Amino acid sequence: MAFRASEAGHRKGDWRWWAALIALLSAVTFAGLFTSEPYRTSTDVLMPPSTQHWLGTNAVGQDVWTGLLLAAPNTVVIAFTSAFLALAIAVFFAMASAVGVPLVRAGILRTVDMFQTIPAILFLLLVAAWVQPGMLGIVLIIGLSAWQDDVRVIRAAVLRESTRENVQYVRHQGGSWLYCAIHHLIPAVWPLLVSLYLQATRHAVMKTAGLAFLGLTDPRLLTWGGMMQGAMDHLYGDAWRWLLVPPAVCLAMFLYLVLSLGKIAERQSMARSSVGP
Amino acid sequence: MSKGRNALLGIGGLGGLVVAMVVMLADQPDATQASAGEHVLVITQADGDQGLLAPFAHRRNGLGYLYTSYVFDSLVGQDAHGKVAPALAESWQELDGGLAYDIRLRQNAQWHDGVPVTAADVAFTFSYLSSHPYPFATVEGIASVTVISDTQIHLTLKQRDASFLSHTLMALPILPEHVYADQARPERFTGLDAATGSGPYSLISYDKVQGRYLLQRNRDYYDGAPRYEQLALVRMAPDRAIEAMRADEVDIVSDLPMDRVEYAKKQGLNVVTALGNHPVRLVFNSGGSLSDRNLRRGIAYGIDRQALVKIVHRGDAVIAETGYLQRGSPWFSVQSHPRNYAYDPEEAAVLFETSGWQSDDGVWQAGGRPVQLRLITDKRHAQMATVIADQLERLGIGIALRVLERGALQERIASGDYDLRLSSSSAMGDPNGLRDRVLGDNWRSDRYADHQGDIGAVLDAQARALDAVERKAILARFQTLYAEELPAYMLTNPYLATAYSNRVHPYYLPDGVAIGIPLALPKSVFLASPPLAGQ
Repeated sequence: MAFRASEAGHRKGDWRWWAALIALLSAVTFAGLFTSEPYRTSTDVLMPPSTQHWLGTNAVGQDVWTGLLLAAPNTVVIAFTSAFLALAIAVFFAMASAVGVPLVRAGILRTVDMFQTIPAILFLLLVAAWVQPGMLGIVLIIGLSAWQDDVRVIRAAVLRESTRENVQYVRHQGGSWLYCAIHHLIPAVWPLLVSLYLQATRHAVMKTAGLAFLGLTDPRLLTWGGMMQGAMDHLYGDAWRWLLVPPAVCLAMFLYLVLSLGKIAERQSMARSSVGP
Repeated sequence: MSKGRNALLGIGGLGGLVVAMVVMLADQPDATQASAGEHVLVITQADGDQGLLAPFAHRRNGLGYLYTSYVFDSLVGQDAHGKVAPALAESWQELDGGLAYDIRLRQNAQWHDGVPVTAADVAFTFSYLSSHPYPFATVEGIASVTVISDTQIHLTLKQRDASFLSHTLMALPILPEHVYADQARPERFTGLDAATGSGPYSLISYDKVQGRYLLQRNRDYYDGAPRYEQLALVRMAPDRAIEAMRADEVDIVSDLPMDRVEYAKKQGLNVVTALGNHPVRLVFNSGGSLSDRNLRRGIAYGIDRQALVKIVHRGDAVIAETGYLQRGSPWFSVQSHPRNYAYDPEEAAVLFETSGWQSDDGVWQAGGRPVQLRLITDKRHAQMATVIADQLERLGIGIALRVLERGALQERIASGDYDLRLSSSSAMGDPNGLRDRVLGDNWRSDRYADHQGDIGAVLDAQARALDAVERKAILARFQTLYAEELPAYMLTNPYLATAYSNRVHPYYLPDGVAIGIPLALPKSVFLASPPLAGQ
């Protein structure tokens, strides 16, 4: 009984954490919408931080602080959704190949092989030749070009979990694979999914920056990854301090938030399964 | 157990192999190390491989052409000031008011394999190039070639050509008949013997992957043995090259970025700078969406070029002249520019309204819809493009900016799928090249839709004007027309820099090397005594 009470308390505390983290994330994400400062080029090129430009200016005289705020929504939305998309596809294929009939398994795994062998950049260049995507397009492109590497990893974990007694028991009792997946398999591989999600988020941020150089997007689409990439030309001087560090810190904080959310979600699912219905 | 050990040994062996390979790769002989010997002059540039240094195999750009010119001589060369000077041709005489030329060749010129250079080689070259066109000059204007003796040749032209000496004969490399006569597909002839020239240096090794060349001095060169025993042409990023030059491993950094000049000077390196006369220009799709010249002019007035100089070039550039030719060119005319397009947003607005655009709350509309122009460029001009897009958006014109890979860029240009594009090419060299640069359909050219035919007519007229004063007057008219019609808007003319050691003294030529190449590496830099102008 005591055990149950403390878990329940933990759970309540977690909800507060959830709320706080999500509020913080939204604040970061949408702060840019409230900035009145336009992100304009100016002749104040590569100015160090000052009272006029809190975080200095970049190579074309744009204010770095304004850039950080304006980049937040793009970065967060693209990273969150495209990583989610990639992971969802990966989980689906991993589950299907783990529990499916041999033909399905072979089909999925050979498809994965194919996608893993063909460099994603070819796919991106091909897409670049045909479309000029908007925000949704970018999410789709990144999501669809990043799922293949996770399939085998998740599949291995799912295979291991599917041999456990609880899963076998549910199957004997007539539970469907979908039921097993939702109630047993996914919770069991949750920590793995969190870490893969984090990785996918990080990749998505940097990939968005790279898309502009493939001609896929307007290079002025502001993201933290793009700001970091722009800063790379200034590593030989002092300017990297105000060009590279601020977006890198923002990105690190963002990833930490994602990680924290993942951990909380993990604790909750564990608490839920141990508390029972 | 033993299986496990075998596997372990296998992995260990594989690891060892990988390590050995890495060490071997890292230990590859480096051309820069060769500079420890005092006879090798090491020249670096950041661009990749330029192809084999033979006329049909080198990359079709200025650097590929320049490197090849060390191996292949032309009939006419340049002196240390860039003026026309004898090369394989010792002297020449203009006959029939410029319709024919008598050319006398050097007695002592030899191919790198020891065979003498004769008039038959020259005649062969002209006939060979008429069936295998060379991208940098054409022999179309030559009506007949008569070999008079081993060292004398008579040429007749179809019509007068003001740039016959300073462009055609200067740009065309002379080919050895005994090497090229059997080559039906010279672009596939890529053995080292394809690089058998008569120039001051012969190619002795070429590493395509690394983009490295080692050139050996031609001791029997007709103008005397060149100054340096060997030239090593090496690909290296400028920052690394500066450090290598400090360690005395590199002699010339031919593409020193302007923002590294101060640093290089602080490191005790010599630096020479010059206006590149290789302006960045905003090309309009004059055959499509921007066929109305008032729109082109309006956009020109709406761009603050002073800001571009400050932001993009950090002040290391000047505002470009709008009549294509730049200050420094012998053909430039100060008086020929009625419009210098000083930044004037109000004038821009007037011109847009003249062309039927309406301003709605600061946003320009055409046919009831907001104006959205497509601006395309390559990575090199991405920063410039960002600033221009920003300036035009401030003016109320929406911009869709795309930075494209070269292939995609060429395709977009060829299909006319753009409104604005950034480009840069040389404004130097003989004005004969202007026709191609303005009216040609090359992806680098303006591809100007010359419906009136004015610009084409003026460019034809200057090509026939043998008198330099007359030619300059006609070219002044061209510059006026260019600035008025605005096939492209010349934005900025950046400075270029070259760093060099105390063993060599590179210099920029006022009108560029040969076809107008803006590098401080004319071949006269490497000769014991640079040729003198005149005949």
